[in-house]
Amino acid sequence: MKQAAATSIGLGMPNITLALVPGHIGTKSKEELRRDVIGVTAQQVIENLTVMPAAKGTSGEPGARDIVVRGDFQAVNRYFYEHEYSDGLPIVPPTKEAVESFLHFTDRSPDEVLGVLLPDRRAATVWSVAVNGVMAGCRPEYMPILVAVIEAMADPKYAVEHSGNTPGGDTLIILNGPIIKELDFNYTQGALRDGFMPNTSIGRFFRLYLRNVAGFLLHKTDKATFGNTWRVVLAENDDVLKEIGWPTTGEEMGFKAGENSVTISRYTGGGSLSSVSGSTPEQLLPYLADSLLRFNNWQITFTTSHGHGTLRPLAVISPIIAEAIAKAGWSKADVKQFLFDHARMPAWVFERQLRDWNIRGVWDLKDDVINGRIPKVFYESDDPNRMVPIVWTPDDFMIAVGGDPLRNNAYVFAHNAFLGYPVGRRIELPKKWTTLMAEREKQQEI
Amino acid sequence: MTQQNNDGYYEAYWPRGARQQKTRALAPRLETLEGKTVAQLWDYLFKGDEVFALLEEELKRRYPGIKFVSWREFGSTHADDEKEALAALPERFKALGVDAVISGMAC
Repeated sequence: MKQAAATSIGLGMPNITLALVPGHIGTKSKEELRRDVIGVTAQQVIENLTVMPAAKGTSGEPGARDIVVRGDFQAVNRYFYEHEYSDGLPIVPPTKEAVESFLHFTDRSPDEVLGVLLPDRRAATVWSVAVNGVMAGCRPEYMPILVAVIEAMADPKYAVEHSGNTPGGDTLIILNGPIIKELDFNYTQGALRDGFMPNTSIGRFFRLYLRNVAGFLLHKTDKATFGNTWRVVLAENDDVLKEIGWPTTGEEMGFKAGENSVTISRYTGGGSLSSVSGSTPEQLLPYLADSLLRFNNWQITFTTSHGHGTLRPLAVISPIIAEAIAKAGWSKADVKQFLFDHARMPAWVFERQLRDWNIRGVWDLKDDVINGRIPKVFYESDDPNRMVPIVWTPDDFMIAVGGDPLRNNAYVFAHNAFLGYPVGRRIELPKKWTTLMAEREKQQEI
Repeated sequence: MTQQNNDGYYEAYWPRGARQQKTRALAPRLETLEGKTVAQLWDYLFKGDEVFALLEEELKRRYPGIKFVSWREFGSTHADDEKEALAALPERFKALGVDAVISGMAC
């Protein structure tokens, strides 16, 4: 109810009415559902359709460039926390000097609108990118990356409006290009852990921006049952990928080799694979295929007519695993084909997950295939033990390379499909980038 | 010796952005549901098919002349093509003579 009420403001209908089914549908018996819908919900529906609710105005807000608080560090942080502008950690106060230092690192106008973000329907401006970048503890020279990340967030294909859903996933930003080394991103051991300023602060920035400009607040517009916290930026090991002749994530998203890019995508969870062992792809990959199945369980709903094949599971493999596979002459495409062929489950298991466990209702794979909604591979016979994939094509699997170069581990991410679809953006550096970076280096030496 | 405040002084900007949506008036309410055509929209989640069946039963009991256009007519409102599906609704409602809409099943 609270989420609907908060979300309706951004849709311009703060007084839109709701009818409730008390409790949660998922735990009701048929008799309880009948009792509640007929006894409670029906009357609310009738009232909602026949009685005009009272008008509701929205409260005034500051202007886009207003100073909202003056005071010492504690006072600023207390104000930001009380007004839900911060994530509970201290923020760096976004002062004029700090914000302007960020704006120096972009040629874009501060008033440029990168997009309009739901649920609050606020303008995502270059200015607000700088403000939130300051708050997150980013450095000014990260600004080109921050702008690219928000351009991606504003892409309708990413569908930021779903970022408050109950699975509570969080976005992974994958970074490619020479900027990784230029700005000292961690791209080796501990690649997904906090501790390196660029990886950590930009990850935090993403979630602050979701809070402050998209408008996702817990107990209001953000309905995560548990939630993840923001994810550290994954800087891919571009060197290894180049050595073994595999495309980077950025190249697979359409950018040129050696171009700076970000790719964002939303994941509901995942897990670490320890000791992925073997000296051939045939020995190494079955474990990965099996893990992709295990970690993408209810998410297979997006492979059906619900998501029309938008599930894009991600496997991050350590460099030594990628090198072992490439040594055998396998390309990344070969790996994806193997995963497509082997990350399969019996059709009855697939259907049980969705129909019985996720209360999908009246549905089966046969119906989806016969009606042309999903590919024929999901219904090649009536045999319930026929093995079906979890994605539509081999290319739906995403593979990134990173982590400790000398550990044979991998990490599998469960994807939230069209509720956070992979989107990439080129990072635009300002014309004076080299000069600005030289000035920054001099300042740091002092 | 007086102690200096070591906590600094800051003038901090608002971190949000201006809302781009003005408040809109809701559609006028109906005098009665008797004789009206009510569309159902479903996001294919949370047993909406069962809920809509029960609502139909109860509303028909109270308003015998009420008519429904099933959620089956419109496709899911929560799928990868939801933006297109929603954009097509005004025309579809007009063509089907819809007077009111019940949309579910947020949870």
